[in-house]
Amino acid sequence: MKMAWKEMKKNKLRYTILGSIVFLISLLTFIISGLTNGLSQDNASLIKNLPDGTFYMEEEADETYSFSSLSEEQQQEITEAQPEAAFFSIQMGNFIDTSDKQRSVAYIAATNSSYYPQVNFGEVILDASLEEEGIAVGDEITNEQWDQPLTVAGFVNHEKFSHSAAAFINPDDFQALFHTDTMQIAFVADSVAQNSNEATAFKELQAFSNSEFLNTIPSYSAEQLSLNMIVIFLLVISGMLFAIFFYMINVQKLGIYGILKAIGVKTGKLFQMMWAQMFIISVISLILSALISQAFQLLAPGGMPFHLTWPATGQLSLVFIIIGFIGATLSGIQIKRVEPMQAIQQGEM
Amino acid sequence: MSLFTMKNVRKTFAHGEVKEEILKGIDVTLPEGKITALTGASGSGKSTLLTIAAGLQTASDGQISFEQQELTSMRSEELRQIRAKQFGFIFQFAHLVPFLTVEEQLALMLETAESSLSKQEQKKEIRQVLELVDMWKRKNAYPPSLSGGEKQRVAVARAIIHSPKVLFADEPTASLDSKRSQEVMRLIQRLSKERHITVLMVTHDMDMLDYVDHVIEMRDGKIIQEDSIH
Ligand SMILES: Nc1ncnc2c1ncn2[C@@H]1O[C@H](COP(=O)(O)OP(=O)(O)OP(=O)(O)O)[C@@H](O)[C@H]1O
Ligand SMILES: [Mg+2]
Repeated sequence: MKMAWKEMKKNKLRYTILGSIVFLISLLTFIISGLTNGLSQDNASLIKNLPDGTFYMEEEADETYSFSSLSEEQQQEITEAQPEAAFFSIQMGNFIDTSDKQRSVAYIAATNSSYYPQVNFGEVILDASLEEEGIAVGDEITNEQWDQPLTVAGFVNHEKFSHSAAAFINPDDFQALFHTDTMQIAFVADSVAQNSNEATAFKELQAFSNSEFLNTIPSYSAEQLSLNMIVIFLLVISGMLFAIFFYMINVQKLGIYGILKAIGVKTGKLFQMMWAQMFIISVISLILSALISQAFQLLAPGGMPFHLTWPATGQLSLVFIIIGFIGATLSGIQIKRVEPMQAIQQGEM
Repeated sequence: MSLFTMKNVRKTFAHGEVKEEILKGIDVTLPEGKITALTGASGSGKSTLLTIAAGLQTASDGQISFEQQELTSMRSEELRQIRAKQFGFIFQFAHLVPFLTVEEQLALMLETAESSLSKQEQKKEIRQVLELVDMWKRKNAYPPSLSGGEKQRVAVARAIIHSPKVLFADEPTASLDSKRSQEVMRLIQRLSKERHITVLMVTHDMDMLDYVDHVIEMRDGKIIQEDSIH
């Protein structure tokens, strides 16, 4: 460790370059990962905020929630098996606010649910993002197709669906507005489920886990997949960079390695030295980019979907370190191969 | 039984299809605690013999025994341990580690040799040896800032700091002027006496023979003459 540090101090430029490249790539990875997560929240926080559990939709709906309709009898049947089951429906739509501006929202009606706000008849509770846009409690919102306006009764934080703000309304309003007398989705949280070891199966209903259900949301899986691919590519590239950089640094040090081997230094110790250097560089770069990406999160404009938690940063950092370790070790195979004789014959370094 | 002997050592290098025998059956016994010089024309195989003796490359055939142990049949890890603990090396060039100070070079050698001395004693030993080679005042210097002679004296110090039983030196004075060469030779001579180190040293320079006890002359991979001087 001491030798590793001494060498880095004596060759500051070389290691600073490596460090700054690792820093830039990890910063980019953190930012993109924050965006991935932010978009995912923006797209589906309504679902993501739910505890782990099982979702049920009609089998005939072919995994599309808007085609699913659970009849009274089906709801009854589910409630008998799972008394704590919640039912809800989602409908994308819009309204006109007091300043005559049209807003798209996701209307949500839920019964028997502690996960979503209970709303009185004739009222609506909106996602807080709309409050930031100037809508206030007491405002009346309208829609050409409605007979009656709805009154804004309050706001909730972080409830979005399909990149739109959630608008919670009373189930009776929902039925009247959208001409339906069924619910689309049933949800049973694992923590309240009967015989919770296994999700209960129902005739003609298809069960989904939370992540399976998220993937049924149009655009969600496509969006997440492409962003996650970028993150994975960045991680792989950073591993290759470590390999290439350490390879170049090692090539320049082969003479020293040879002499150290000649006087009896263990090959393992030379590897430890390289690992220690890789570790020091990664940790410093990762701490810097973690701090900067968190600062970015604080300073980013409110409308920007960016969400990066410390645990997520920690996990990514760990992956970086593991990948760096693999990269450095691969490049270190030359250390194993170097013969003391080559170095001795090479003359002065 | 003597400390270090070589029997019928052969070394063949393959240049493509052509095989060339560089060492053609060498028998040597190093007089214990004495300095043996290896001389001969360029290309006669001196360096090859020295590095094979020191366990830095393998012989094609023959036996090399050190303290009744057969080096040629050892696993590389055993050989490494012997190199680290029992052997010292001085090469034509100092080959110091560029990013360690003079003092740290010696500390690294002690660590590599798994010295049983306490940290305190190691410090004292390093000081003693550096004073011996007159480099204590430069203990915090890095190799690139030392002159050729200074580097070589540090290399000598590194080679003997862990009190090896055998010291191998390949033209240790070749990069020095004659005054510095004499100094280094006197140093090696003194260390060999004081610490009872057996030395095998390749040299071209006939003036250096004043400091040795035993001379082996090689030609074309064979020993042609052996003399005890004192
Ligand atoms: N690794 C090797 N591969 C092939 N041939 C080699 C190798 N090492 C040495 N030789 C050959 O062995 C012969 C003896 O080399 P060696 O270095 O032992 O000579 P030397 O007596 O030390 O010469 P000098 O006085 O010039 O240092 C030379 O002809 C050299 O080309
Ligand atoms: Mg030679």
